[in-house]
Amino acid sequence: MTRPDPLQVLTVCGVGMGSSLMLRMTAEDVFKRLGVRAKVEATDVSSARSMSPDVIIGQGMHTEEFEGRAPVVVAITNFMDKDGLEQQLIEAFEEQGWWP
Amino acid sequence: MVAVNFGEPVASGAALAAVVRRPVDDWQAAIRLSCSLLEKNGAVTVVYADRCIAMVEEHGPYIVLAPGIALAHARPQDGVIRLGVSVATLSEPVSFGHNDNDPVDVVFAFGSPDNDQHVELLSKLAQLLLGGLADRLRDAEDDATARSLLEEVTQDE
Repeated sequence: MTRPDPLQVLTVCGVGMGSSLMLRMTAEDVFKRLGVRAKVEATDVSSARSMSPDVIIGQGMHTEEFEGRAPVVVAITNFMDKDGLEQQLIEAFEEQGWWP
Repeated sequence: MVAVNFGEPVASGAALAAVVRRPVDDWQAAIRLSCSLLEKNGAVTVVYADRCIAMVEEHGPYIVLAPGIALAHARPQDGVIRLGVSVATLSEPVSFGHNDNDPVDVVFAFGSPDNDQHVELLSKLAQLLLGGLADRLRDAEDDATARSLLEEVTQDE
């Protein structure tokens, strides 16, 4: 399967307006760095359950339930760690045959 | 005419407040401290702190978004009157029960009256945090210094 273009990406947190928003900004930056077109949306975990994105990014306590429900699920702990997120995305994309 | 406002809105209309090196017993008290600053500014009502604490109890300590840094908030309908952001640094860090990012000694709180007004503010806050704002706040020795650091969230590039 080829990588969807643009990628539909969700950043998730409990309420959907604080942490997930900060994470959205980080993610947008990282996708730009990677040269991957992505539509990134911040939302709360319960809304995310009824959506079908290509990529879900959030803290492990929230992403766990999405394992297997989106092609790429990335758990992060520090929203400021852009290099870490970049690395995790590349590895997950490789597994999907989405990279390079 | 010159209007002088302390603890009042600046450029973007957001209420701002900061205190430094305060002792608290636990993460709940840390959230209450930051929320009390918003309350004093008229940005949120007295129920807001309880709602922020309930969010963590319900969804986990995800508000600890980087090592040592928490961003407490609840929803617009949880008692937000107008946009505001506050920060408290702690004299002794507290645990939020976060596996990776504990202990926490910089506790932000914000309230937004709707789902949009805070977006610009948080975007600026994210940039500032990436630029080392948390350490500058930790170094701030008095409330006024911390507040002027926080004012950067309402300033343009």
